[in-house]
Amino acid sequence: MTPVSLTQMGNQKQAEQKWGNVSIDSVRLTDVRKTFNGHEVIKGVSLEVKKGELVVFVGPSGCGKSTLLRLIAGLETPTSGQIDISGRDVTYAHPSKRGVAMVFQSYALYPHMTVFDNIAFALKIQGLPKDEITHKVNAAAETLQLTHLLRRRPKALSGGQRQRVAIGRAIVREPDVFLFDEPLSNLDAALRGQMRVEIARLHTKLNATSVYVTHDQVEAMTLADKIVVLNAGRIEQVGSPLDLYRKPANLFVAGFIGSPRMNTLKARVRDVSADAVKLDLPQTILSVPRQSAEVPQGASVTLGVRPENLHLATEDEDAHLNGYVILIERLGGETFAYVALKDQEGDPLIMKLDGEVSLHNHQAVGLKIDLNRAHLFSEDGQAIGVSPDFAHQTDGSVHV
Amino acid sequence: MYSNKWIGSLYVTPFVIGFLLFTAFPFVASFLLSLTDARLQDQLGAANFVGLSNYSEMAADSTFRQSLGVTFAYVFITVPLKLAFALFIAVVLNFKLKGIGLFRTAFYLPSILGGSVAIAVVWRFVFAGDGLLNQALSGIGIGSVNWLGEPTTAMFSIVLLRLWQFGSAMVVFLAGLKAIPEDLYEAADLDGASRLKQFFLITLPLLTPVLFFNFIMQIVQAFQEFNGPYIITAGGPLKSSYLLPLMIYEEAFKYFNLGYSSALSWVLFIIIALFTAVAFWSQKHWVFYAQDRDDKGGH
Amino acid sequence: MASSLNPVDHGWRKHLPLVNAFVRYGLLILVGFLMIYPLLWMIGGAFKNNAEIFSSVGFIPKAPTTDGFINGWKTSTEYSFATYLLNTMKIVVPKVIVTVISSVIVAYGFARFAIPGRKWLFALLMATVLLPKSVLLIPQYLMFREFGWLDTYLPLYAPQAFATEGFFVFMIIQFMRSLPLDMEEAAVMDGCNSFQVLTLIVCPVILPAIISVALFQFMWSMNDFLQPLIYLSSVEKYPVALALKMSIDVTEATSWNEILAMSTIALAPSLILFFVAQKYFVEGVTSGAVKG
Repeated sequence: MTPVSLTQMGNQKQAEQKWGNVSIDSVRLTDVRKTFNGHEVIKGVSLEVKKGELVVFVGPSGCGKSTLLRLIAGLETPTSGQIDISGRDVTYAHPSKRGVAMVFQSYALYPHMTVFDNIAFALKIQGLPKDEITHKVNAAAETLQLTHLLRRRPKALSGGQRQRVAIGRAIVREPDVFLFDEPLSNLDAALRGQMRVEIARLHTKLNATSVYVTHDQVEAMTLADKIVVLNAGRIEQVGSPLDLYRKPANLFVAGFIGSPRMNTLKARVRDVSADAVKLDLPQTILSVPRQSAEVPQGASVTLGVRPENLHLATEDEDAHLNGYVILIERLGGETFAYVALKDQEGDPLIMKLDGEVSLHNHQAVGLKIDLNRAHLFSEDGQAIGVSPDFAHQTDGSVHV
Repeated sequence: MYSNKWIGSLYVTPFVIGFLLFTAFPFVASFLLSLTDARLQDQLGAANFVGLSNYSEMAADSTFRQSLGVTFAYVFITVPLKLAFALFIAVVLNFKLKGIGLFRTAFYLPSILGGSVAIAVVWRFVFAGDGLLNQALSGIGIGSVNWLGEPTTAMFSIVLLRLWQFGSAMVVFLAGLKAIPEDLYEAADLDGASRLKQFFLITLPLLTPVLFFNFIMQIVQAFQEFNGPYIITAGGPLKSSYLLPLMIYEEAFKYFNLGYSSALSWVLFIIIALFTAVAFWSQKHWVFYAQDRDDKGGH
Repeated sequence: MASSLNPVDHGWRKHLPLVNAFVRYGLLILVGFLMIYPLLWMIGGAFKNNAEIFSSVGFIPKAPTTDGFINGWKTSTEYSFATYLLNTMKIVVPKVIVTVISSVIVAYGFARFAIPGRKWLFALLMATVLLPKSVLLIPQYLMFREFGWLDTYLPLYAPQAFATEGFFVFMIIQFMRSLPLDMEEAAVMDGCNSFQVLTLIVCPVILPAIISVALFQFMWSMNDFLQPLIYLSSVEKYPVALALKMSIDVTEATSWNEILAMSTIALAPSLILFFVAQKYFVEGVTSGAVKG
């Protein structure tokens, strides 16, 4: 197989997607649960991954994202629930019989085999004829620019090269689904960026269904067609990266997606109208534009404001909030300012400002909130209504 | 790793069979035999149950008391000396110098070969009346000693053979020493601790797990020493190097007293078990583990 | 501050590492020489005539002769020393092979599977390391007598086929546990069953540990004396250890050079292996103590 035919394969898959059985999801989880030693780590997850989609599982460590991936891989068996891959129930199938291939965090290359043998191993186990193996391995190596390294052992490769071998080992099997378990976390920052681009390019080229686990929300935002945010064994929200950013379903997602994280302010509902919620804050009263907000008067709520939606008030403006600067981080292109509110306890607010902004420590500042892009959460953390700016936007890049 | 318990059980089956057949069954059988007057040349069916009389017989058996005393003397002399010497040499060796590897090899070699008959034979020649040691002594004007003919010196010769094999304990100490982070000593240097203080306050406490391991292994091995005394002194003279394993062997295969020999082997087992039990029990008072050691692997 | 006020102190500290090294080297050379001397004396003595052995403490033979080897090789029995060497190999080689295979398989079960009662089984395994062999000696003897295995080599290695040497199993378990699981999981994803994972992935990776086990078992079996002493009765089946013991009983008074020559030959395989594969011994002996 040459790179040309790999592209053809991609086209063929696209064709299948258009005219084939569209209703079949590539991966479908139905109420999957997993218990380890009496401790439930996956608490009923249902999920669909469409053909050709790159889905990223993201969440803090211990949220169950890796376990979920291992359940799909077949390295763990669910305590209950069902897993279908390409329309076939594989809940209890052997990992190698599911049409999945996995790229491990540690690369998991076989140290005693050459790059060629590493990539060829699965095909040898399948008992494929020698010529075919050689042909396939060479094709995969060419796609990943590994041809000149085929005779080396993993020990003699750089981190990025090892990563590519690990990917080569996966693509040579032509799986229905690629699984990636934090594949970039062992690389240094520069290489990580580079490999991220390579994985994105490879995904476009092969157009293969992929499930990708990471704790790095930047990776999730840049790579994913669809992000699944997990927390404590449950799905918090599923959506395109920008959907999650603009319309987080709850405080957890709001806090997890976006860096620096969203600022939160405690408030109480004063009044609710058709298109706005009026809030009592310690310093002020704010009218937050809101569509389809259902919240009782007097309820305590959390106002969420992203760092880029906080601005410095000009002298002739009335500020929404008043405080003073306690820390300035200048990154060159942008500046993060930490502002403590006057007469108020709690974490300082983080503002994302222009790189050249003139500001100094202890400076008293007035803050304006871009209320059309503010977020509102009920006491139990669920989002209340939608901001008008985000109400009609959807992310154009979502795969159908 | 793999959830299938039964496949896992299949892998350990050889051990389970081997343990039952070659360890558990003989272990129990040996205790039962120790309650009989079984003899090697007879069928087992001919043996009579004699209760604990084999054990009570020991109290009156002067050979047994002699053997027991010699065994304790041998263990109490060799184990501390060997450990101390191994630790001392390991500390001297734990130094970045050229040719250190060569010395480690030289020191380790005897403990690999030391248990062999060939070495025991050489040892016998070294300590023989016209052997190497006496030749060397007469060379510096000291008269020859009948090493293997006198009780004290005969014991000395087999003790020396054991000490000669300090290498394996030394290698373990050395690995333990190398595992102690260098920056602990640097910090102690800055705090003004002397070398000697550093040894007692840093090296020794951090080495206690390794010391514990070596101690257990040495105790267990020393109580079972057979080849050296059997070949060099044959337990003599006057049973002065007649270690318990020698007596167990001779009672069974020379005098054919299987019952009595089994009882002796059980006494040896109980002694070793007591020593290891006390060591394990006491380790929480003196063994310092840097990390909690939990049983990992196999999820 | 002291260095400017007290230049003598400064000078002393500068030379301290040198003095330190000097003392260490001196000590090590002295101890090393004493340690190795019996071996040198044995090898030298093998090339001396008997008169010289009794008259000189030096190890370099003044008039080297191979008489000791020639006469010793013939032995005082009707078999040459070659027979005994061959017999030793007939015991040691199968013993090493079955020990390695059974220990690896059992260690894999312990290290990688959630076996029912694993903790208990592991405790039993460790207990076998500490259990004195002499307590098992007599019943094992009677058992093998029942099997009709007396005066055969079977009692010397049949138990080892069942992973009865807990020390080796423990050593390999420790080694396996230090391996990342990812690699084996990748092999499972690649289509291996657990036995293929063991043979195609785990074994090649833990080869150093396997070599350590093989070497230790080789040495220990070469040294083994009590077991052949009990089980073998015909001289034609004797291994080197028994043949040597027999020869000192017969010829000790007269021909030391023969015995030293045969001792040298008896130790030669172990000596060569030790020098070739020294690092595996060091790894092996330390793996249980330090990693665990």
